[in-house]
Formats: sequence, structure tokens, C-alpha cells
Amino acid sequence: MANQSDNSVAFSAAELEFLAEDEMVEIVPNMRMEPLNLISGDFGPFRPQIAAQVPLWLAVALKKRGKCTIRPPEWMSVEKLTQVLEAERDSEKFQLLPFHYVEISRLLFDHAREDIPDIYMVRSLIEDIKDVRFHKIGTGLEIISKEVTYALRLKNLSAMEANIVRPFVTKALQTFHKLNTTEAIPESGSIPNRQRQAVNQRDKRVLKGR
Amino acid sequence: MKIRSIKLREAHKNSNGVGSFCSVLWDQQGEHIVTASSSDSSICIHDAILPANPPKVLRQHRDGVTALSLSPNYTCLASGSIDHSVKLYKFPAGEFDTNITRFTLPIRALAFNKSGTMLAAGGDDEGIKLINTIDGSIARVLKGHRGSITGIAFDPKSEYLASVDSIGTVMLWELQSGNTIHVLKGIAPVIGSDFSSANIVSWSPDGELLAVPGLKNDVVMYDRDTAEKLFSLRGDHVQPICFLSWSPNGKYMATSGLDRQVLIWDVDKKQDIDRQKFDNRITCMAWKPTGNALAVIDIMGKYGVWESAVPSSMRSPTEDIPGLSSKSGHGLLFYDEEEENPSVSGSLSDLGEGSQDESEPFSRKRLRKHHSYTDDWEEDTNEELELLPNVEPRKKAPHGHRDGSDNKRNKLKDVPLSTGPKMQEAIQPGATPQLPGKRRFLCYSMLGSITTMEHEGYSHIEIDFHDTSSGPRVPAMTDYFGFTMASLNENGSVFANPCKGEKNMSTLMYRPFGTWANNSEWSMRFEEEEVRAVALGTGWVAAITSCNFLRIFTEGGLQRHILSLDGPVVTAAGFKDELAVVTHASPPLPSNEQILEFRVFNIRTGTQPRRGRLPLTPGSCLSWFGFSEEGYLSSFDSTGVLRVFSNQYGGSWLPLFSASKLKKSEENYWVVGLNTSKLFCVICKSPDSFPEATPKPILSLLDLSFPLASSDLGSEILENEFIMNNTHLHRIQSTIEEMEAAGEDTSLLDDEAFNTEAALDRCILRLIASCCNGDKLVRATELVKLLSLEKSVKGAIKLVTALKLPNLAERFNALLEERMNRETTGGKISASTDLKGDNSFNAHAALTKSHVMVESSKRLELQDSPSLNSLAPCQTKKRPLEEPIKDVNVEAENAKARKLEMAREFKNAFDMKNAKKVRDEKDKVDEVSNAREEDEVKNANGVEDAQDQNGEAIKVTAQRPSNPFAKSSNNKPNTSLFDSLKKKVKADR
Repeated sequence: MANQSDNSVAFSAAELEFLAEDEMVEIVPNMRMEPLNLISGDFGPFRPQIAAQVPLWLAVALKKRGKCTIRPPEWMSVEKLTQVLEAERDSEKFQLLPFHYVEISRLLFDHAREDIPDIYMVRSLIEDIKDVRFHKIGTGLEIISKEVTYALRLKNLSAMEANIVRPFVTKALQTFHKLNTTEAIPESGSIPNRQRQAVNQRDKRVLKGR
Repeated sequence: MKIRSIKLREAHKNSNGVGSFCSVLWDQQGEHIVTASSSDSSICIHDAILPANPPKVLRQHRDGVTALSLSPNYTCLASGSIDHSVKLYKFPAGEFDTNITRFTLPIRALAFNKSGTMLAAGGDDEGIKLINTIDGSIARVLKGHRGSITGIAFDPKSEYLASVDSIGTVMLWELQSGNTIHVLKGIAPVIGSDFSSANIVSWSPDGELLAVPGLKNDVVMYDRDTAEKLFSLRGDHVQPICFLSWSPNGKYMATSGLDRQVLIWDVDKKQDIDRQKFDNRITCMAWKPTGNALAVIDIMGKYGVWESAVPSSMRSPTEDIPGLSSKSGHGLLFYDEEEENPSVSGSLSDLGEGSQDESEPFSRKRLRKHHSYTDDWEEDTNEELELLPNVEPRKKAPHGHRDGSDNKRNKLKDVPLSTGPKMQEAIQPGATPQLPGKRRFLCYSMLGSITTMEHEGYSHIEIDFHDTSSGPRVPAMTDYFGFTMASLNENGSVFANPCKGEKNMSTLMYRPFGTWANNSEWSMRFEEEEVRAVALGTGWVAAITSCNFLRIFTEGGLQRHILSLDGPVVTAAGFKDELAVVTHASPPLPSNEQILEFRVFNIRTGTQPRRGRLPLTPGSCLSWFGFSEEGYLSSFDSTGVLRVFSNQYGGSWLPLFSASKLKKSEENYWVVGLNTSKLFCVICKSPDSFPEATPKPILSLLDLSFPLASSDLGSEILENEFIMNNTHLHRIQSTIEEMEAAGEDTSLLDDEAFNTEAALDRCILRLIASCCNGDKLVRATELVKLLSLEKSVKGAIKLVTALKLPNLAERFNALLEERMNRETTGGKISASTDLKGDNSFNAHAALTKSHVMVESSKRLELQDSPSLNSLAPCQTKKRPLEEPIKDVNVEAENAKARKLEMAREFKNAFDMKNAKKVRDEKDKVDEVSNAREEDEVKNANGVEDAQDQNGEAIKVTAQRPSNPFAKSSNNKPNTSLFDSLKKKVKADR
């Protein structure tokens, strides 16, 4: 896996998907099974037709064996997504969506397409939301070039989105910073270095935390 | 008053931007809503159940539709339009039927009469046309209005017609002669030429009152015959009322004003009870005929449904209409309807009470009821007449008694109905009512489901199991019988259909899932008898018929037993060998309490172990009945109370769940099953009371809890846990007793009993803590007495010491001492009480038991210490509470010595018992544990000598301490073998 401290290197999509598999989803098993005692916690017991909370990877594994149906998360309904899309278009801010919404929806579309009502609608809505948000990120990044920026504040950014902009933003900010400081104090060599580190740290925190 | 917002959805585009008059109607079952707008030439038939479905659109008119009316039998829809025509359609298909008449100017109002044979139409033309709906001929034209006629209403008793025009004049016409009998000028607001609102008149469903919007922003009620102003409803309307609608039972009224408010009134109290503000003026409203909902439409063509318009705390707007009184039940509504229809097709068949564009369908029932009163009360009321001088009818009505009945009305309302509440119809647990075009459940249980969907005369039945891995896979089948009842278990499914006409006899069919022989499916036909309920168990099928026969078949189709039940069946449920049947014991009480009785049959042994009355919440009906996973009989009623049968108090029903306690009014619970601590149900969003079959509903788990009163202690959760644990313990103990009587091994259950006791003690200790904090010391002392383990009592003492309550600690100490004393004495005595039953079978059973006992104790003796050591960890496990491991080790060491001692005691025990003395023990703690072992030996000894000891034994029993149970529970942390023997003692006693 990529070294996380090196924030110029992005995760691959597969890596992000792997991380997203720890998110909890609700399944409706069609078999009876004792609770699973795993390191990450106990899941189950599983009783037919009674919903249970399990991590996504387990849900997908069970689904592949035809042992359960996955209940799509609440935010994945046409109604909710329509609202989010509208709000996303109307406001400057990013709407609150699960951190791994891209990966979760992708996994569910791949493995549990028959469990999602109105799947085509849901899929296109999520695509739209994704597009709108990326567009917003794009326009948002323009401010970097307009004024002197040391940090970027992007609230409610999802994992995938942060991942995509991370290499560019960090590089850009570093470059700007370098240029700025060299303009202001051309003669000192040690200070910019320390400041760059500070910037890097702040950067990391802002982008990773939600 | 709560402010809820009602979501309105657009039905008709408002093209000109100005408000237009819109109309809305319900159909009979409340499944469709019909809307029209005066700015739109189309009529929409919306699906009320799934509003998202696209509406059916009728585009016959060339201009805006101003009036709608449904015939009383809901088969014919009439519409009037600005294009001067009145058209008829078939309903609910929406097929255009005919242009029944034409005017020279726009139509404004339409109304069917009660029988649907006549349609009244009025508008900007001069007269009201009465049109024969069969041939379209004009029966009469009623001329007299000066303004546009905006409202017409047929009197529910078919004598009068009321009409109102745009200049505020109300006229009452006699239908037979066509004469005006009253002209009331200027009583309604003048609306001039603004046709986006309309004056309206409306008869109350019983026909006794005529409601007209008044000039003072009120509704004025006029007397039926004299047209005198009786009273008015005045309240919060700040502008004139433009529409009003009576609830189906005539108890409530909805009014909408130009001030964009809708108010709900309690007509009897003349008080407004709820209100709703809208963005636009509501031009039309209609009460749902089958429920508490009001459809509204505003001038912009947006319609919506106001659910529970009448607050749920009040009587439903459909209540008091016979046949709908228990509407909350699952399957009731539909049966009621079917039965009601033939009876009303007589002289008093259907009503045509339809104000301008809405009808009030169920009033006919009320009407019929009322007639029966008036006949009964005719004599009495004549006297009353003279006491009421203010009633001076201008014209005597043809029926002499009516005036009396008129004034008598208020009193009559309170008299119990002669028809009374209806007996509940038969239900099948886990079935949902039939809705046209929808898949429904015939059976939904913890195991699986059976669904059916009618399709062109036959049905398509699917059976599937929740657990697809273990359940058999059953192919779908086509059903030509039209099965309405079904039941399912692991081995097979049973289906039955009611009798439908002569050639479609009632049939019972059984379909096994797995069998070694071909064609093991079988069916039975019933002549002049129909199946009302079915149930399945291990190797048997039961059907209860309309003749009150309980027919029991074997799995292979052999007719095994036929029993006669003593009442009409309500439902039946099977579990292994047991069949439970619920029947009506008598007609319901006038307060609408169903009187039900249950019986449990054991099919294998041919016995009836239990029977009794089935309790229900007053005013409710049974909505689910069955067995819990452990086999406890349970019932669920329509108010959401779950009851479970228990052996406590000689067999009684415990309320273990109450939906009202959850305080989630927007949810309804559709029960599927339960186990000891959880209720499995499908949660339905109100107003739905049952789930749809697709997608397959998911079960939710709800905690069982007693409906406790709010205690001053404020620890309901603990108190609930306390009672639950007690109940659970009682159940386990009674199961152990049963199993012992059958001579089965109970060691597993003993463990469970011990764990439950430990849990109970934990709970009691926490309760003691909260009692001490709440300063309820007496209660705390009572609780200490209930502790079953000695260690827990010590824990309690520590607890109160820590809480700085020394005198309580003292009390507890005294209790502990008392308990320890009792333990030493009580142990012996309880052993000897065994002798009481010496001459019975029990003694014999005990005798054999004790032999086993002796043998096993001998065996134990022979075992050496390793095995005893292995016993020790298991003991620690059994005492998760506070017994330190150290103790156990000591015990293990002592155990060997004890065993030897035991053998000695075995010989001495008899003498000791006769002496009836508590031995002076030096080492008390050790003795307490030894005493237990002693008991066991003595027990065995005692039984062997049972015959000889009879006399003495009785004496001994007389000296028994007041609470013998205390002893038995004290001895719990014992070996299971001993435990079971001790239990035996209790059982024998």
C-alpha cells in the first residue's frame, strides 16, 4: 500500500475500495448462522429475514454465495439522492455524504444490483452528484491561483475526491509557498523549509479529516 | 392543535394562473381519488394507495370540468363541464358511457340520488334538471333560482332536494311533487360571478340536518322539515366558508374557508377540533369512506390527503357505521363490506346524497339504523312532541312519526344500537387483505411465506422459505379454486377457499413438500359447509368450518377426528402436536368487546390441556394468534397488545408488549412471531396496518416488556427486567417440572434456570440500589427477601453499608440469619414432605428416581479426586456472580470427605429426621453445603420408607417453615443431579 505520510502519492482506486469495505451495511440473510467472532468485532447472529449489520466485505461475500440480500443504505434512495443533487447544485458547499460513497455505491452496483430499487436512476444520480462535486472542486481550486494560499479547506470531501485532488493540491500549494517565500525573503534558506513542513502537515489534516 | 403539513401534489395544471374550482372524490374503498378542475378539461382517477402511479386521465370534455359525482354504488361517474354537457363514465374503468344531457350554459353542480336512478344537474341555466340515469330522460326541471346554481344535494331519505345559488338563496324542493317547500333568501354568502368558489348545501348523513355556509363565516344547520335554523358552527374562520363536508358517520364536519383554512368540527359539541392552513384556498374536500382521512384539492389544482384528520384520540369518522366499527382489524374490512352489500340493496339501498360534487357513501348504514330506532320509539315519541312547541312544520311530512324522531334524535344517539358491534370475522394469522392487482400474503410466518395474486380468474401462488438454504424449494402453483386461507410448516402447506356460489364449493387442499410417494397431495370438498380457518402441525391438518366443526386430518389425508366446537371460529394455529382454536363465546358486549374463547388440543394424545377465555383490549379485535418459538400461546390484538399464556396463577395471559408504550404513533406493528424476549414483527408506516407482499417485508425485533405503571422509583427498565426474569424463571421451572414428570434429563434447563436466577439477582441488586437512592427502604427489604442466592444477600448488605444505611444493613443481616436457619431446617423438612404423596403415582415416580439417585451417589463415591476437581471449574462457571474461585477449591477438597460422610448419613438420615432436630453444627458454612447433600440422601431414604413414614411425615409437614420455596432457591448452586431431585420434591408437593 502507498505510504500515507507521503501525501503526494495517491491511493489507487482498488486500495480505496479496500478501505471502504469496512463500512457497515445492513443485510437480510436467508440462512441461519451463529454470530461470527472476528477481530474487528462480533457480527450476527444471522436469522433468516431479520436484518443484521455487517461490514461491506462480509455482505459482499455472503451476497456472492447467495446467502443474503443487501439493504441499500438510506442515502442511496432516489429521493435522498435527488435532494442531495439539488442541494449540491444550489449551494457552494459540499453536501454530507458518506466518506466512501463512491466506493460503496460502486461495490453495491457491482454485486447487489438486484437489491437496489430503481438502480438505473440511483446510478445516474450518483454519477451526476459525482460530476457536480468534481466540477465544484475544479472551480474551487482556481482560488489557489488567484490569491496567496497556504491551505485549502474542503469540508465533506469524500475519500475518492480527496484522493484525486491530493497530489495536485499539495504540489501546487508547495510550489506557491516556495515562490511566495522566496519572493518575500530571498536570502534565507532554512525558514522556507520549516514552513513547508508546517504547510504539509496542515494540508494533510485538512484533507484527511472530515 | 398540531400543525402538520400536508403534501399536495399537482393533479391539474392551472393554465390561466387564476384560481379555478376543483373537485375531488373518493371511491368506495378509498382506493382511488377522482379530481377535476374548472380550468382543465380532463378528469384524473388517481391511485390513492400508490400516489406515485400515473393517474388515469379521462379527456372527454372540451372545457373545464366543474362538477363530479359518483353514483352510490360507485359504478358510474358523472361529470359536468363548462362546455354545457353532462357525461357519464363507467367507474373505476373510466370508460366513457354517454352524454346524458346538455345545457345551454355551463354546469356548476351535480348530484346522484340515493338509489342512483336520478341525477340532478344545475348551473348557470335557469332550472335544475332531474335526469333519469337509465334512459337519460328529463324527469323534471325545478325552476326558481335567480342565480347560478352552485350546489345541489339530495336528501338521504329521498324526499327533498336542497339547492343553493350564487346569490345565497337556498331552496328546498319536494321531489315527489317538484314544488318548493322552503325558500331561504340571503342566508348563504353571495359569490357573484367568481366561480372559483361555490356555495354549497349538504345534508347530514342521517338526513336530519342541512348544513349551509352562513354569512358570519360560520356553518348554519337547518332543520330537515321546518327549515328552521337550529344552530351554527362558529369558530376560527375569518372569511366565509366555501366548502363543507360531513364525515361518513355525521359526527364530524370539515369546512374550508376563503381564508385558506380547513377546520374539522365535532358537530355534536359544535366545537372545532383541528385545523390546517394551506397555501391556497381549498375548493373541495371528501372524507375517505373507509378511514380517517380527508382528501382536499385547492384552487391551483393540487390535491392531497390529510391523514387522520380527526385526532386519533377521538372516535373515528367512520365509527358508528355498522360493519366498520372494528375497522382496525386486518382482514375485517373486506368481509364486512361483502356482507353489508346484499342487505342494503333493499328498499333503503344506496343513497344519492351527494353535494355538488362529492358523495357521502356510508351514511346509508347510519340511516338504516336510525329508521329502526324511529320505528321502535314511535309510541314514546308522540308524547315528546307536545313538549316541543317550537317545532311547527309548515307542511306535515308523510310519515307521522318523523317529527318526534327528529327531536328524539339527540337522546337516541346514546342508546345502544340494536344491531350492536359486530362479531369479529374469522382471520388467518399472518394473512393480509386482498387488494385488487396486488400480491397478498396468505400466510407469513417465521418460517416462510405463501403469497397469491389473482390474475384473470385464477391465482398464482408462491411458497418460499426465509431460510433458503434449509427449507425445501417449492415450485409456484396455479390455483383455480381461489384459495384465501393457507398455513405453512416445514413439511407441507394447507390451502382452503370459502364457498363461492353453487359450483365453487369450499375446498381444502394439502400439499406436502417432500414425500416418498407420488401424488401425496390431497384435497377435500365440503358441501353446504365452508372452511373458515386452517392450521397445520406435526402430522396433522386441521380445518374449522362454518358448521363449527373441527376436522382433523392426518398428513396423508385420512379423516381422523371431527369435533364440534361451541362457537363460530375466529382463528386457529398449530405448533407440533398442539392445535389452538379461538372461537366466539357470545356476541360482543355493547361496549364492543369481543368475547372470545380459546382451546388447546393435543392432537397426538387426543387431549385438551388448556381452555379458557381469550382476553382482548376493549374495543379491539384479534389480529394475530399463534405460538411463540418455544411453544407458548400468544395473541396480538388490533390495539397492539401482545399477550402470552403462562401457567402462572393457574393459567393466565400476560401482556408482554404494548404498542402504545413505545409511543410511536406513526408505526403499526404486524406481528409474525415471538420468542422469550423478542417480538418479531413487520413495522408498517401508518396508516398501513399490514405490509405489502412485494418486496418481501423484513422482520424487526422489538423487546418484550410489561406495560408497567410509571413508578415513583423511575427505573422502569429495571423493574421490567425484574418481572421478565421472574416470568422467565417461572417458565423454566415449570418446564423442568414437566420434564421431570416425564422422566427426562433436565440438566441443560437447570443450568439455564441457574443463569436466570443469577441474572434476576443482579437485577434485584440494582433495584435495591435504586430503591435506596430513592429512599424506599421497605421496598428494598422486600427485594432482599426475593434474592435467591445467599451471596447476593451478602452483596446487598455490602451495598447498603456502602450507601451508609446501617439500620437497613442490620435488617438485611437479620434476614440473612433467618434464611440460613431456615436452610438447615427447611432442607430436612422439604425432604420429608415428599412422603405426603406416598400412595400416589408421584411417590412411585420419586421412588424410582431416588433409586437412580442412590446409585449415582454411590458412583460418585467411587470416583476419585481428579473427577471432583474437574467438577470444580464447572461450579465456578455456574456461579458467575460472586463466589470466589478460592471457595470452590476448598469445596472441591472437601467434596471427597463429604461423599464419605454422605454414605454414613445415608444410614443415619432416617433417625435424624424422626428426631426432627436441627443438628448443632460447628462448622456452619460447611454444614450448609453438606445439608444439601444430606437432603438428597434423606430424600432417597424417605421415599423408600414411604409407607411406614406416612403419619410422621404429616406431622413434619405441619412444622414446615412458612416459606418452603426460600429454601429450595437457596440451594441452587448445587450439582444438577441434586437440583433435579429437589425440583421433584416441589412438584410432588
